[in-house]
Amino acid sequence: MRGCDRKGRGVGEGIEVVGVSRSFSAVQAVRSVTLTAEPGSITALIGPNGSGKTTLLLMLATLLRPDAGHIRVAGHDPVRQPGEVRARMGWMPDILGSWASLPVRATLEITGRMYRLPRAAARRRAEELLDLVGLTELATQPTRVLSRGQKQRLSLARALVHDPSVLLLDEPASGLDPAARVDLRVLLQRLAQEGRTVLVSSHVLAELDEMATAAVYLDGGVSVSAERIAASRVGLRPWRVRAVAAGPVGPVGPGTGVAGSADAPGSPGSAGSAGSADAPGSAERDTAALADALRAVGVPAERIRTDHLGLLVGVRDEADAAALLTALVTRGVAVSSFAPAFGELEQTFLDLHRGDRT
Amino acid sequence: MTSYLSGIGIVLALELRQRVRGVGWYVLLGVFVALVALITVLLWLSLDVSDGLGGFLFSGILFFVLLLGTLVTPALSGNAINGDRDAGTLATTQVTLLRTGQLVLGKFLAAWLTALAFLLVSLPFLGFAVLSGGVPAGTIAVSVLVLAVELGVIAAIGVGLSGILTRPLFSIVVTYLTVAALSIGTLIVFTLAGVATSSEARSTTIDVQFLEEGPDGADTVTCSPPQVTTYTVPRFDYYWGVLAANPYVVLADAAAGQFDSRGEPVDLFSATAVPVRQAQIAPDLDATFDYCSDLRDGGTPAGEQFPTSREVFESTVPTWFVGLAIHVVLGASALLWATARTRTPAARLPRGSRIA
Repeated sequence: MRGCDRKGRGVGEGIEVVGVSRSFSAVQAVRSVTLTAEPGSITALIGPNGSGKTTLLLMLATLLRPDAGHIRVAGHDPVRQPGEVRARMGWMPDILGSWASLPVRATLEITGRMYRLPRAAARRRAEELLDLVGLTELATQPTRVLSRGQKQRLSLARALVHDPSVLLLDEPASGLDPAARVDLRVLLQRLAQEGRTVLVSSHVLAELDEMATAAVYLDGGVSVSAERIAASRVGLRPWRVRAVAAGPVGPVGPGTGVAGSADAPGSPGSAGSAGSADAPGSAERDTAALADALRAVGVPAERIRTDHLGLLVGVRDEADAAALLTALVTRGVAVSSFAPAFGELEQTFLDLHRGDRT
Repeated sequence: MTSYLSGIGIVLALELRQRVRGVGWYVLLGVFVALVALITVLLWLSLDVSDGLGGFLFSGILFFVLLLGTLVTPALSGNAINGDRDAGTLATTQVTLLRTGQLVLGKFLAAWLTALAFLLVSLPFLGFAVLSGGVPAGTIAVSVLVLAVELGVIAAIGVGLSGILTRPLFSIVVTYLTVAALSIGTLIVFTLAGVATSSEARSTTIDVQFLEEGPDGADTVTCSPPQVTTYTVPRFDYYWGVLAANPYVVLADAAAGQFDSRGEPVDLFSATAVPVRQAQIAPDLDATFDYCSDLRDGGTPAGEQFPTSREVFESTVPTWFVGLAIHVVLGASALLWATARTRTPAARLPRGSRIA
């Protein structure tokens, strides 16, 4: 129980959840969740639909009482000291509700007043936040005219009104255009650097990958243990390889250190990024030549796959990948791109999910 | 305490601000004014000025405001809390430092003030009625006050039900049903129960059989044997308490008491209250109508003496404060229950509802 009686913001008061469960009549939404989110970090909350992410966030946000378990948010118990938690916690819900007829600026001012800011301070804070989330131009518009992405930004601003030390964000990036996503990422990183605890749930795993410093996986209402995550990593992971023009196909060289394994590369599903394809004919030729080159450096044929975007090769880990890249470059293959097909979070998510089905 | 009140004030201001932005609200007020104006003109035309027009005009307008108030207020209050939940704005206010009690009370006050706006715009017409004369200050004060409280009660029931029930449409309908139960249901129960438990009454009539002039000039009166008839009378006197819970009766009973020199009502308050008060008087189950004895004993035949309205009114007990107390308790309990149901962290959720 750290930081129980500390009133200050920031350091040392993150989120601590131990063995929390919650059911709704027949549905057990959260079975057993244990997690820690440290101040100064951005923790990703990852899980498939219905895995209990939103229910968990509602409990952290003092809205829902857990059936069992123990929660501390910013050093306080959300059930017994909801007021203390609310004063230090900002929550951005997955549902975008706003007072439809009120202007954007008034919405933030009133929210500030609800956090007991004096009138002048609430007005000042509203201006700051409008500027922060880029809604200044829409300040006098009623919130009903906002687009989904703009409502999302308003919702974020509302969560920040009282300068909270813990931020709970439920799908903050959905509906945002790429530029706004970058802004959000930069903002969240800055907030974390200031010593705040940020917990973000999202389906856009690539997005989280770029900012999350820690990750918590939920599956069927249970937080996945570190051991299970480690265990899920033993399989091969697909890496995407692209080369400008494959080098001359020579005789098969000596072993390259790529571990021979009969495992097929991980199911790629949909690739993370869309590559710009050359003329189809030449691209196919390049891919075929690259595949030959891979076989030439000792990669078993079953670990090489092609899809509409190019070529995927299964590798065991980073060292394995580095060795393969060295081998290709040594062979004179003009490698233009060599990267994991999926982000770390996405890959773990997929691995865990695949583990469930087998 | 001040910070608790200021929290209520924030919610109140927020609610009112959202309401006045809607065009529909002004249309509604306009229609309301037009209707009150129409009623005023119709009452004016149908009443004789010498009758003490003011009293009837004033009370007529006030009853009409109560009618429209009870028709409009449920719609304005019955989705206050669950409507916010549907719109996704409830949870975002619940994670602030606002307390549930402040939220519910703020919403209640907003609904009440909105209902009072209808009373406010009818003030010119009430003023006109007062200027016509014959409306004592006491009647004005009491009736307006009781009307305001009644509108508050309906607002409280509406806001309360919106916190108790999950679906906005359902809570609005239940609010209407509650108002209907009080306004019409009490009348139905009163009438049906009174008729269903009728008693057998006996009336004995003694008539004059012969009237002879004797030799000394004195009349000799021979009375006929008593004629006994039996019939059934409804026992409304058992159930008059039911009507005490009727908002129209509460308003009438509280504001009544004005009679003319003949003991007849000079406004609709008294005209409504008197028959209701009359129900308190038990029917005479063994009445004797003797048209003969008095004559025989040298008197004049006694006609039937019906008490005047004033006499009825003054011989019975007032009920309005009982009805008003029942209403206030009803409204307050609805608000308390709603507060308990809306409080977070929530232990249980209404079926099929999302907390956000």
